[in-house]
Amino acid sequence: MSIDDFYWLYDLPPHRMALLFVAAFVGFYWIGSILLRPILRQFVKYTAGANDIVGYVLSCFCVFYGLLLGLIAVTAYQNVADASANVTREAAALSALYEDVSRYPEPHGQNLRWLLRDYTRYIIKYAWPLQQKGIMPEEGTIRAAAVHDQLLEFQPRTPSEEIVHAEALRQLNHFLECRRMRLYSVGSSLPASMWFVMILGAILNIAICWLFDMRFITQLVLGGILAAYLGTMMFLIFDMNQPFRGDVSIKPDAFETLYARMNEG
Amino acid sequence: MNEPCPSLAPSPPPVSRRRALADGTAATLAAARLLAPALFTGCSLGLPPRARTVTVGMLHSQTGPLGISATGLRDIELHAFEEINASGGILGHRIETRAPDPRSRTDLFVRKARQLLDEGVACIFGCWTSASRKAVLPLIEEARKLLLYSVQYEGNESSKYVVYGGMVPNQQILPGLDWLLSPAGGEKKKIFLVGSDYVFPRTANYIAKKYLQGKSLTVVGEAYLPLGDRDFTATVQRILDSGADCVLNTVNGTSNLGLFTALAAAKVDPVKLPVFSTSIAEDELRSLVPEQVRGHYALSCYFQSLDTPANRRWIAGFRDEFGFDRVTDDPMEPDWCLVHLWKQAVEKAGSFETEAVRQAFRDGLSYAGPGGTVRLDPKTQHTTKFFRIGRIRGDRQFDIVHASEAPLDPDPYPQIAFPGWSVDWTTEGITRGPEVTIDGDV
Repeated sequence: MSIDDFYWLYDLPPHRMALLFVAAFVGFYWIGSILLRPILRQFVKYTAGANDIVGYVLSCFCVFYGLLLGLIAVTAYQNVADASANVTREAAALSALYEDVSRYPEPHGQNLRWLLRDYTRYIIKYAWPLQQKGIMPEEGTIRAAAVHDQLLEFQPRTPSEEIVHAEALRQLNHFLECRRMRLYSVGSSLPASMWFVMILGAILNIAICWLFDMRFITQLVLGGILAAYLGTMMFLIFDMNQPFRGDVSIKPDAFETLYARMNEG
Repeated sequence: MNEPCPSLAPSPPPVSRRRALADGTAATLAAARLLAPALFTGCSLGLPPRARTVTVGMLHSQTGPLGISATGLRDIELHAFEEINASGGILGHRIETRAPDPRSRTDLFVRKARQLLDEGVACIFGCWTSASRKAVLPLIEEARKLLLYSVQYEGNESSKYVVYGGMVPNQQILPGLDWLLSPAGGEKKKIFLVGSDYVFPRTANYIAKKYLQGKSLTVVGEAYLPLGDRDFTATVQRILDSGADCVLNTVNGTSNLGLFTALAAAKVDPVKLPVFSTSIAEDELRSLVPEQVRGHYALSCYFQSLDTPANRRWIAGFRDEFGFDRVTDDPMEPDWCLVHLWKQAVEKAGSFETEAVRQAFRDGLSYAGPGGTVRLDPKTQHTTKFFRIGRIRGDRQFDIVHASEAPLDPDPYPQIAFPGWSVDWTTEGITRGPEVTIDGDV
């Protein structure tokens, strides 16, 4: 079983996904309280001041675990932010290229404008839904190649055309670079080892709570609150894990704005 | 008053584990009872319903010399399938598309067709040149899938697994020649045939020459240049020397720029020596110089300038989706009709299976397209076509100067050129006549 097996969770609305995470963690804690707590309690049952010791261990553990979760959350958010910046850069490069080719003589200019519009439309209508499923879209490569071919077909005849053509080729390379980076980020996510450490940490955190000696109902409520918050943190990290999936994900706004402008005429 | 002393009041009994468990179970069951309707009547946890899908292949060059022209077909197909999906799909299935790029290379057409068939597509819309169609045909027939081909072609071919949506010579070239013979067409006497050197121009001109035998329009010359060649100076001189009063042009692709440049350089007046082109549509006009082509003619089944509400709606819908300055042309219109005829056949068959769909063709499907209502002829698996002649304007559009009153029936084997040959897929299939050598004497 890998983290990929849980990607269907991204298809849930965010509030339901959050509830599911909280329910899973609280449920795990409560079931453990019923089934495992009596066994674990045997280890500290006759130790004087056991609750103080368990409380001390839990505090130390929570500091390390909290730091880990915080750092991982920042990393996950940084991934999303980087991918978002790539998307914005790609749209900006596409926009600049569209402006450059608009200065080409016809029919080259019109052909290139059509191809660039077609690429933008494909990204919005076809590539984005695929990226949201974690699939790397393939047919955008064909459209980008068509732009490249058409651009190379143009032979400038005047010095001004040479300047515009050189600038368009530079923009094309920049656009292709940004596009490649966006595609790389479609599959980017936290490594499995990080998830292993996080989940193990959550289980240990919960297990330590089972060691407390207190009324059963109090145990369920207090431990349940801690488990609920752990679930929320896990939900947040899971939601940010893939830049193009879930509620905290990149939307095609930059391309949509560009496409609307391309169609203004 | 005998109020009990608080200190002596009975304290609430401690909650035992057993009691807590029992209460917890009861609370869980109550919560489950409360949430069950939401969870199970919706039955989805908010997950979107998983639509059934069917994949369709689109085999059009998106790069290479044919890229710009063939991309129009891909786009019109995408537009059609997007509309179909928006209105509920076909038989409850959402249509997904796969569009690899054969890059205008015949060998890649074969490779990409195989790839699509291996992926299990329901059918393939595609091909542009006859060479590409003939190259993928064996694969299509072996896989028993349908190829839906929308470009005008030379006829002299029939496959039970191909639906031909474009014009054949008896729907384009022969009525064009009839018009040239008529008073409206100027009762022309001498015609010169010029074409690119490949199967379509050679076959089309062979049929034209056969058709004109015994008629008052005489073929005074014939010239073929390699596909892509742009030097037509000598050819134009031959045309002028022949004394022709009209030209039938089956030149294809970028070569047309060379032909019309040479005609303009020779100061050919389109009123005195009009050129009738079979392979120039609105998309090709974008690459030609308006001053050089204005006044010449094209033979087609559809022009963007066709002034009907259906056509205006179609153009507006396409431009809304793909851009304000996109043009529509033949073969985009036939391609649109083919998608809808296939949809009708699938719905009638209740299945995407090839044989069931072919059986549905027998009902004689028809579709009211932007260029008029067309019918799928079950015998030939070709479509009926309106015939139109357009005179090229300065704005890269056409004035329609002639249109057939009704759609013309297709005949892939005109008897004047292919005696004894015929096709009827509702009965015995192809009836073979004597072999015909296209390059032989007429």
